[in-house]
Amino acid sequence: MHDKSIPFEATIRWIKKETRDTATYALKINSREIQRTYTFKPGQFNMLYIPGIGEAPISISSSPTDHEIMHTIRIAGDVTTYISRLNAGDVIGVRGPFGSNWPLEEIEDRDLMIIAGGVGIAPLRSVIRHILMSGRRKKPTSRAPIGRKFILYGAKTPKDMIFRDEFPRYMDAFQVFLTVDKADPEEYWRGEVGLITGLLNKVSFNPLNTVVFMCGPEVMMQGMTKEMILRGVPGEKIFISMERNMNCGMGVCGHCMFGPKFVCKDGPVFRFTDIEGFLGIKEI
Amino acid sequence: MTKAKIKKDHLKLIFDRLKTSHRIIGPKVEGNVIVLAEIADLRDIPAGCKEQQGRGTYRLGKNSSQLSVASSQIFSFSVGPDSFKRFMSPPVRENFAFKKSKKGISISQNSSQVREISTAFIGMRACDIAALRLLDKVFLEGPVKDAGYDSLRRNSLIVGINCLYPGDNCFCSSMDTGPVIRDGFDMAVTELDDSFLLEIGTVRGREILNGLPIDEVSDKDLSEKVSKIEKCKKMIKKSIKVSELPWLIYRNLEHPRWADVAGRCLACGNCTQVCPTCFCNSSYDNLQLSGISKKLPELSGARIRTWDSCFSTNFARVHGGNFRPSRRARYRQWMSHKLAYWIDQFGSPGCVGCGRCITWCPVGIDITQELEALHAR
Ligand code: SF4
Ligand code: SF4
Repeated sequence: MHDKSIPFEATIRWIKKETRDTATYALKINSREIQRTYTFKPGQFNMLYIPGIGEAPISISSSPTDHEIMHTIRIAGDVTTYISRLNAGDVIGVRGPFGSNWPLEEIEDRDLMIIAGGVGIAPLRSVIRHILMSGRRKKPTSRAPIGRKFILYGAKTPKDMIFRDEFPRYMDAFQVFLTVDKADPEEYWRGEVGLITGLLNKVSFNPLNTVVFMCGPEVMMQGMTKEMILRGVPGEKIFISMERNMNCGMGVCGHCMFGPKFVCKDGPVFRFTDIEGFLGIKEI
Repeated sequence: MTKAKIKKDHLKLIFDRLKTSHRIIGPKVEGNVIVLAEIADLRDIPAGCKEQQGRGTYRLGKNSSQLSVASSQIFSFSVGPDSFKRFMSPPVRENFAFKKSKKGISISQNSSQVREISTAFIGMRACDIAALRLLDKVFLEGPVKDAGYDSLRRNSLIVGINCLYPGDNCFCSSMDTGPVIRDGFDMAVTELDDSFLLEIGTVRGREILNGLPIDEVSDKDLSEKVSKIEKCKKMIKKSIKVSELPWLIYRNLEHPRWADVAGRCLACGNCTQVCPTCFCNSSYDNLQLSGISKKLPELSGARIRTWDSCFSTNFARVHGGNFRPSRRARYRQWMSHKLAYWIDQFGSPGCVGCGRCITWCPVGIDITQELEALHAR
């Protein structure tokens, strides 16, 4: 196993601009040795490192079956701003992978509802691609999840929708529902306008048989969880991915503590009922 | 042999034996305070001193305490602001060094980080040994082992001392961490009236005694130890009801007392610095001046890890926001972590009852009182 306290070098293979402030970066690990030992699960994150600037925790947006490690990054702080100025061929530091993952074993014979807000779709794309790829493999051994699958995604405006060009492909396996806070009058928009909770009225699903994977702004996740529970989805079947200021990634720096949880090692993906008591508390 | 006895003036023999193979860290007076530092001579140990500790006060002197200390007593003093945390998880350390040039980046680990020389920690109290075992859980038993801590820890020899005179702010007995040392030591010492009772915890602890003039331990010696420790327990004034943890905190996360303590707390972080179990830290890049010569890399420096504190304003900062801007939330985070979250995370409270945070808080905030106050409706 490679040492997760020291960054390894990775080269940016290509960059795809998603929106005005977000882009996807495909990385290839430089060392063959580490290439061999590096494995991750959908939902985990890496610490991306720019020497002299610092580190930022960024979720992995590719599937473990993809050839490259992808990160979909919105410009937010110094590190992500710096990364946004890099080009293909540039080298960055990476530590990881860290954290918990989306529990794929929970969805084997159940319906899956993926709910994402803004850049929160990045860690969920890892699951989406994983499902799309396992569905394609026709080997009887690779069991593709058999339940129905939905994606509910909300963004500020249509222009802020990440992976918009990939949605048609997602429709192979998912029913996709989109909404924006505000439609752009200059652009043709066929999705909904309004809160993401509103999308729930469009979806016909069986709450008792549904597993929810959710990532987005905390207020959105709180509102959405409340709605799901009102509709009868058991709290134990709702999984949410949290954002905090991870600094070490290994549960030894204390920065990302959320109640008794270390978001970096117990999370970022939590079972809702495990953190429920702390979600509403201000400044916890 | 698991127990032995030596004459009081033979303590020097043990010290000299240790000195041949170890750097020795122990209690020493610096600036009127008992700190932990390298000690070259047994006489560095402030024999017979007894400090007076209060909420936010500390006075050191021969007879400044109300406790009457037997005149022959050497280890009569209690814990000062330093804890052994400073040596196992140094306040500043280098994670790795980096260079960046047109060709790319290179990252190298500093090999001098691994200290070859063994360190003997002498005079560790039961609470400090308990604290060290808590730090082991944090740094060694997580998903990734902290290599720096691991090597420092493995190169350490622990010579504990059973407390016979507690500090005024101690409450180890209620936390079940002291005053008697039960495990986690190489050698544990009890100062009897005219000799030292030595209990051996490890092979390394036994080796120290090879060839030294030791005596048999009698039942009388053992009962003297027990009665002295019982006496010490009776002198402990403060306590926490561990049976109320963690629920007393969990049920009161919105208690008005948090706003009250926020009005007194300065958010200075002293309590986290002196606490032997507070482990929070921050890593950042330290840059060297570069670009002076064409031969030098464009950029070089090191990633440094320093102690940090949940009281720091920016501790819970993310881009575009801060999860704990108020002092109320930061004090609550600290105390809730110590007395509640820690139980969920590591199986026991994160407080060992050493009382340091009470003594060294500039405004005298007392964790035992703050907890008690959560009972008020
Ligand atoms: S919280 Fe205070 S009394 Fe408890 S271990 Fe830390 S410094 Fe000692
Ligand atoms: S409790 Fe006391 S020592 Fe701790 S941060 Fe507040 S003022 Fe400082």
